[in-house]
Amino acid sequence: MAWTRPPILMAEIFSVMKWPLIACLLLPGILVYYGLHIIKREVIFVDLALAQVATLGTCFCMFQGHEPDDPHNYFWSLGFTLGGALLFTFTRSHKRARVPQEALIGIIYVVAAAAGILLLSKSPHGKEELQRTLVGDLLTVTPFEIGKTAALYAVIGIVHFVFRKQFIKLSFDHDHAAESGLKVHFWDFLFYALFGLIVTSFVQVGGVLMVFSYLIVPAACGTFLANSLLHRLVIGWLVATLASVGGLYCSFRFDLPTGAAIVCVLGAALLLAAVGKSFQKLASSKA
Amino acid sequence: MKKFLFVMINLLLAFGAQAKLNIVVTTPDLASIAKAVGGEQVEITTLARPTEDPHFVDAKPSFVVKLNKADALIEGGAELEAGWLPPLLAGARNPKIQSGQPGRIQCNEGVHMLEVPSQLTRAEGDIHPLGNPHYVVDPVNARIIAEHLVVAFAKLEPGAAETFRTNGKLFTDELDAKLTEWSAKLAPFKGAKLVSYHKSWPYFAERFGLELDLFLEPKPGIPPSPAHLAAVIAKMKEQHAKVIIVDPYLNRKTAETVARSTGAVVLDVSQFPGGVKGTEGGYVALVDYLVNSLAKALANKN
Repeated sequence: MAWTRPPILMAEIFSVMKWPLIACLLLPGILVYYGLHIIKREVIFVDLALAQVATLGTCFCMFQGHEPDDPHNYFWSLGFTLGGALLFTFTRSHKRARVPQEALIGIIYVVAAAAGILLLSKSPHGKEELQRTLVGDLLTVTPFEIGKTAALYAVIGIVHFVFRKQFIKLSFDHDHAAESGLKVHFWDFLFYALFGLIVTSFVQVGGVLMVFSYLIVPAACGTFLANSLLHRLVIGWLVATLASVGGLYCSFRFDLPTGAAIVCVLGAALLLAAVGKSFQKLASSKA
Repeated sequence: MKKFLFVMINLLLAFGAQAKLNIVVTTPDLASIAKAVGGEQVEITTLARPTEDPHFVDAKPSFVVKLNKADALIEGGAELEAGWLPPLLAGARNPKIQSGQPGRIQCNEGVHMLEVPSQLTRAEGDIHPLGNPHYVVDPVNARIIAEHLVVAFAKLEPGAAETFRTNGKLFTDELDAKLTEWSAKLAPFKGAKLVSYHKSWPYFAERFGLELDLFLEPKPGIPPSPAHLAAVIAKMKEQHAKVIIVDPYLNRKTAETVARSTGAVVLDVSQFPGGVKGTEGGYVALVDYLVNSLAKALANKN
């Protein structure tokens, strides 16, 4: 009686995956939007670097003898992240810069990672805790965490909506931003500081790998397939939503770690988008 | 008529299947004892794999489902699983296995815990406030656990109480017989020095009169530093310690490096049936392996 199985299975999936699903539908929205900025600015690895700097804050907190889930933790990682945001604001490269910003981002990433290892070498099971921050604990996310993060993201979303002109000009037309009288450093700092907040909070929920995937993959799909910012955003949100649902389903169906499953499904989504794009090209060249 | 019989048999089978206690166990060592006591009356699911570090188990969706449907949860009770079990339990929302319920079975009840800290500080490493949680590997503790499970299972399924008692008796009788054999095998090595990676073997060492006070980790859970390893190497030479035991989830390379500079041998051990080859048979097979391979290593090196 195979046909009676799916409904039971669906209820079962829902009972286990309800909160992860809500988290995956609610939270990545703003990441996708930021991803479009990040891709345009060509600072793809800035989020990994910021996430690593945030983790360094956690390491520092543990080094002082706090437990990894201590509330101090959040403020330490936030403080470190804001420091990182400041660094990125003043290292934004111009076309004539000798060392591209990408190199500096890479350096910040590895130094933050190495410094974290040094700090955790004195902390019990620190390495394993660090490993955990990489893939996160999406499966056991609590409603409180989701609510807290969603509220924060709503505020950031409002800031971005109100000042959308400045932020969009800065990312998509940087060369003329200063000429038009925009305080470039101020807005850049605000951009990275808000970004740091987003990354720090999402790392607590989903881990470093998921932040990066939600940020870059849907935005990359959107950039692949559409030209206007709004269209890209809509495509990105669609990809993020479908991949979240697909990833969570695979995680349940094949009993896989949840975060990693979503990351892989997102990867597959990009592949599909690329294939779709080449078909599109093929069709238009024939016509 | 045939059809009627068929339906009846099916019903009976279904009833029988339902009557089985659905039990989730955190670690494979406890699972093997639970299996011995529960026999055919229980369906056992183990969360941690035998080769996995029991301090860190990756959460999978099936864990939440299994915990949600469980009639009982068997855990160590000494916070070995503190890092990963609580959020899963919160997700499982199963009133039967919440703290204080008969379905929540803590195996360390009645066990004399070693290394209970007088004060708690993370500066001393990953310290468990209830004492060292790696207690199951002492066969005398396994006996206490089995007796505890007989009572706990009977509470959950009074109809099968007699079966649990018989099963439990079989297991503890075998343990008693084996313990004499194991003690005899290790008796010639009384006072022999062992080195371990993590502080997970004090119960075993104490039971069999082995001396274990050198650890590759400077403090529990803190990775070995060069200075600490140098100190361990010096002490091993001084004490003529020739056997280093390593659990499968710990860094064997560190142990090999130390072994090279001291002429010691690295012995793969596990606290969990199935953690090393030849221990898949269950608790008794595991201790058999531990005793035999240790006796062999100590004999070769002395």
